[in-house]
Formats: sequence, C-alpha cells, structure tokens
Amino acid sequence: MISGNAALTGSYDPLQVALSVLIAISTSYAALDLAGRVTATSGRARLIWLIGGSTAMGIGIWAMHYIGMLAFRLPVLVECDWPTVLLSLLVGMLCSAFALVVVSRRGMGLTYALIGSAMMGCGIAALHYIAMAAMRLPAECRFDFRLVALSVVLAVVFSFAALWLEFYFRDEPKNSAWRKLGSALVMGVAISAMHYTGMAAATFIPAAPALDQSHAVSISSLGTLGIAAATLQVLGLAVLSSLVDRRFDSQGLELALTETRLELAHVARIATMGELTASIAHEINQPLTAVVNNGNFALRQVASGAPNLEELREAIAEIVNDGTRASAVISRIRALLQKGAPDRVELDINEVIQEVTILVRHEATLSRVSVRLDLAADLPRVLGDRVQLQQVLINLVINGIEAMRTLTDRPRELLVKSAKNADAVLIQVQDSGKELDPEQVGRIFEPFFTTKPQGIGMGLSISRSIIESHGGRLWTVPGSSGALFQFTLPTDGSSVS
Amino acid sequence: MNERAPIVFVVDDDPSVRRSIKRLIGSVGLQVELFGSAQEFLLSKRPDAPSCLVLDIRLPGISGLDFQHELAEANIHIPIIFITAHGDIPMTVRAMKAGAVEFLTKPFREQDLLDAIQLALERDRARRQGDAEIAVLRERFESLSPREREVVAMVVSGMLNKQIAAQIGTAENTVKIHRSRAMQKMQANSLADLVKMIQRLQFLPARARKLRW
Repeated sequence: MISGNAALTGSYDPLQVALSVLIAISTSYAALDLAGRVTATSGRARLIWLIGGSTAMGIGIWAMHYIGMLAFRLPVLVECDWPTVLLSLLVGMLCSAFALVVVSRRGMGLTYALIGSAMMGCGIAALHYIAMAAMRLPAECRFDFRLVALSVVLAVVFSFAALWLEFYFRDEPKNSAWRKLGSALVMGVAISAMHYTGMAAATFIPAAPALDQSHAVSISSLGTLGIAAATLQVLGLAVLSSLVDRRFDSQGLELALTETRLELAHVARIATMGELTASIAHEINQPLTAVVNNGNFALRQVASGAPNLEELREAIAEIVNDGTRASAVISRIRALLQKGAPDRVELDINEVIQEVTILVRHEATLSRVSVRLDLAADLPRVLGDRVQLQQVLINLVINGIEAMRTLTDRPRELLVKSAKNADAVLIQVQDSGKELDPEQVGRIFEPFFTTKPQGIGMGLSISRSIIESHGGRLWTVPGSSGALFQFTLPTDGSSVS
Repeated sequence: MNERAPIVFVVDDDPSVRRSIKRLIGSVGLQVELFGSAQEFLLSKRPDAPSCLVLDIRLPGISGLDFQHELAEANIHIPIIFITAHGDIPMTVRAMKAGAVEFLTKPFREQDLLDAIQLALERDRARRQGDAEIAVLRERFESLSPREREVVAMVVSGMLNKQIAAQIGTAENTVKIHRSRAMQKMQANSLADLVKMIQRLQFLPARARKLRW
C-alpha cells in the first residue's frame, strides 16, 4: 500500500506514560506473588494459583498496553475492535500461563528459565501486536521490523531477568519482599520497554479506514477499563494474599507445634533417662563385671600352663555374650536419647515392653517393687515408633513405681499386661498403690499438672500425644485397685510370627 | 576339731555375673555355691564349715543391706563381702558399720575379691574357733554346782577364802574344797586362768551372755 501522505505525528502524555509503567510494575508484582505460590502447592491448588497468576499477568500487560495507548495522542480518532482486543488478552494470559508453568517447577534451571522467559516475552509482544491490529483509525499502520524485533528481544531479556530473580532465588527466605519487588520492577520494565519500542516501530500513515469498524470502541474507554482492571486486580490480590498468608501461617504454626512437641518429647526422654542413670549404670556394669571376671579366669587358666580347654571356651563364650549384652543396652539408651523424626515400623509390642522392663528393673528393685509381666502370645504387630512407645511405657511404669514408694500395708506390685482387643492391642500398666484421686483424674493428662514434688507434669501429657499420634488412645480406668493406665494401638491385621 | 573345707556363698540375681564369680573363685581352689536371691540362700542347708557370703546389694525382693541386718538378727554371723554396680558412700558406710568385710564396686579387681574372701574366711575361722572354745568353757561352767558357782563368783571378784567363808556362813576349809573342785571342773591351772575364763564367758555378745550364777 503506497501513499504519499506524511505520517501522523503522535505525542505522549508523560503522566499517563508514567501511570502505564506503574501499572505494569504493580500488576507484575501481583502476578508474580500469585505465581510464586504455585511451587509450594500441587493438584487443584496448583492449577488455581497458576490460573490466578497468568490471569493477573495477562490483565497487567493488557492494562499497561491500553493505558500506554491512552497516553499516545494521535490527531485522529482512534478506536479498537473489541473482539480482537479480547483475543490479545487471551493470548497474553495463555503465554503467561505457559511461562509460569515452566518456571514454577521445583529447581528451575537455566533451560527452563530461558524457555519460560521466551514464552513470557513472546506473550507480551503477541498481546501488543494483536492489540495493534485491533486499532481502528483512519490511518494505515506500518512497522519498522528492526524495532519490532528489538521490542521482542527486550521483552524476552527483561522477562528472563525478572523470572530468574523471582524463581531461582525463591527458596531463600531472606529479603523475599525486596526480591519480589525487584522482579516486579524488572517485569514491569519488560512490558513497558516492549510496548514503547513497539510503538516506536509503528508509523501511522493517513488512509481510509480499511478494516471492519462494526465492533469498534474508543481507545480512551479501553484505557479507563485498563486502569480499573489493574487497580481491582492489585486490590483483590492484596485481600487474597492476606487471607492465604493467614492460612499458610496457621499451617506453619501447626508445623512448628509438631516440631516443638517432638523437641519436648525428646527433652522428657532425656529427663527420664536422667532418673534412670543408676539403672543404666547397673545394666551396663553387670555384663562388664562378668566380662572382667571371665577374662581374669581365662588369664589364670592360660597362665597355669595346662588350661582346661573346655572351661576356657565356656568362659570366652560368656565374655562374647556379655559384651554383646552391654552393647545392646548402650544402643537402646542411645536410641532413646537421640533426637529424630518418628520412625514408624512394624513392632511386637511385647518386645518393647520387655526392653523397657530391663531399663526400669533396677529402679523397681530399689523401690522394692516387683514387676510382673502378663504378655499375650500371638499379638498382632503394631505400626509405631519404637523409641516413642518405649518412652510412654517408661513413663507409665516409673509413675507406677514412684506411686508405690510410700506403700507399706501391702506388696508393691506393678503389672504390665498386653492383650488383643478387637482391631487393636491393649496395654495396661497397673500398680498396687493408692487409687487415683477422682478430682485429679480429669487433670492428670493436662500439661504441667503433677502430683510429684519433683515432677514437671509433662510425662502423661506427652505420652497421650504420642499414643494419639499412633492412632491409639491413652486413659485411666477408675475404680480399679491402684492406678490403672491403659492404651490401645491399632493393629495392621498381621500376626506376630 | 577337724576343720572342713571352706565354702564361699554367692548371692547375685544376675546369672552370668554369678557364673563368672564362681569360675574366678573356683580357680583358686575354693568351693562355691550360687544363689539367685537372699531367700534361696536362707532356705539352703549350709554345711558346718568356715564360710563367707559374697552378696549383691541389689537383689530382688530384699536389698543386700537389709539382708545383712536380717542375718544378724537371726544370729547368723557369716562374714559378708558386698558387691554392687553402683555403690555410694552412705551405702558403704552402712554396710561397713554393720560389720561387712569389704565393699566392692562392680566390676572389681579379681585380687580385691580374692583378698576379701581370704580375709572373710580367716575371720570366720577365728570366730568359729572362738565360738567352739566358748562352748567348751560354757559346758564346763554348766557342770559346776550352785555352791561352786557362788564360790567362783566371789573368788574372781577378789575375795579371800576367809571372807567367802564368812559371807556364806561356812568353814574356810569347805570353801577351799569348793574352790579346788571348781578349778578342776573348769580345767583352770591357776587363779589367773580361772579369772580369764570367767571373763570370756561374761564378755560374750548380749544374746550369749546369760550366765546363770
């Protein structure tokens, strides 16, 4: 199309240009903020955040474009074909969506960043040029293709910078607000640079309107719509963000609570172990004593010149056994003292009970308490954390032993019983001491409630939370002679072989 | 008196410790008997021979220290060597005050245990010998007539025959006869001998002291 007419000269309203850039930046911020949540989610939530982010991005680019167009003054009436305008918005959103999918992957590498920013840059450019095609004015639009190319390149490069900034460093919690602001700034620049370079590439030559005018709307109304949309979007995001953050916060709180609980359980274990020091020393010293004695015996035999080989072999075999026994005690203690994430394995609860009995045996003897076990054979296995269940049992048993220390009118007996109970295993710890004070029964599981002079009142409360985290229940049975504590652990149906 | 072979009793609730102690003591040629609890030891038939008891402090049912007390109450004077995996000072003091021979912390040096056992057996031998001598003296004393006992009591308190005769209203010669018969029955060679014998019988532990004069 050849025309001798001079090109129309356009001018910019600097205030509106500034507004367009500001809108680009603020909507980018909103979009990146939404998209930033994509990584942390999965499934439907991920889809929602993705749609939100790309919609925000699309609207942002779109709004910037029309405010930019509003700032651009031509001496003729400029209108737009709204179906094409809508199409441009759609393309912008789709490209943003693709870009966000790519860059929101966990551990975004350089390749993904490049693909993502190419998508984003092309999306911005596509939106722009489709929107240009939507223009209805008594002029013909011609492009300087070098500048068009430059505009696309600028869009891609700035997008890359913005996405890299936001997504590559997203796992560093430090300065995350500043980082987001920075990447929004760069993204806003990407959109604006693309737009104004693209505008510079275009020349408008007066000509008769050649395109369909039936769906034309004025550019100023589109610009106003753009401002409104961008404002609404930023406001909406602010509200949404605060709502979501609150939810995230409460999730974080839950997490912190779980961690604190673990920590507390660990501290309580250490405290319990402290009470059991004498027991532990005894349990290790016994086998060591036997080892030393047998070793001395063996030395004597060898020194005698005519050792009785059979006796020597027996003594050495015992040394090996006792060494193993001491080391088993040590590993049990270590396991109890270690801090670790709960480890659910299939357990024979009777085995756990027997291990605990060994640890508290000495404590019981010192307090003249006889510990009796009544363990059901053929119990199904339970799924649980060995250390935590030992902790619960130690707590209950020690409580029982301590409760009987002042008992003088009847034998001090502690009964630990295991039994099958429907689809659970029932474990009972019963002492022959005083009945529980009915007034206190309701409170004994509360944190910091204690009847012991030196107690901190965490044992039962931690025990209960451990059992509940195993899907079981811990409670006391009123009206029994002495105190009776019992708990259930759900079974997985398979039987202990 | 024909002395029988000494025997060491071991009471410890840990079978493997028990066995190791038996090996060790057995290797020096001593006879050993093992028990898992104080009750078992009490119920056992103990031979009449010098013996000692190696006793764990921590026992099921009753503590070693309380058992020591019970044995003393029951007039069983067996020397005790305590062994414990975790002794503390109050425990040691209590045990030693109550007459324990030694208080060893597990794991102990074999020589410490063997020395303690030797010492304990020595003590038991001496005690047994003393007991036997006292028994003989007591038997002799029991054979005195009431009158002779009366005379002996006055003689050892330093009274002269004349004074004794005046006191019991009899002739001095009669006192002399009583006195020499008593010396004969007690197998005392001199007055000093007789005084020593009576003193030994008098300075027995409370329960054994009741001399009927």
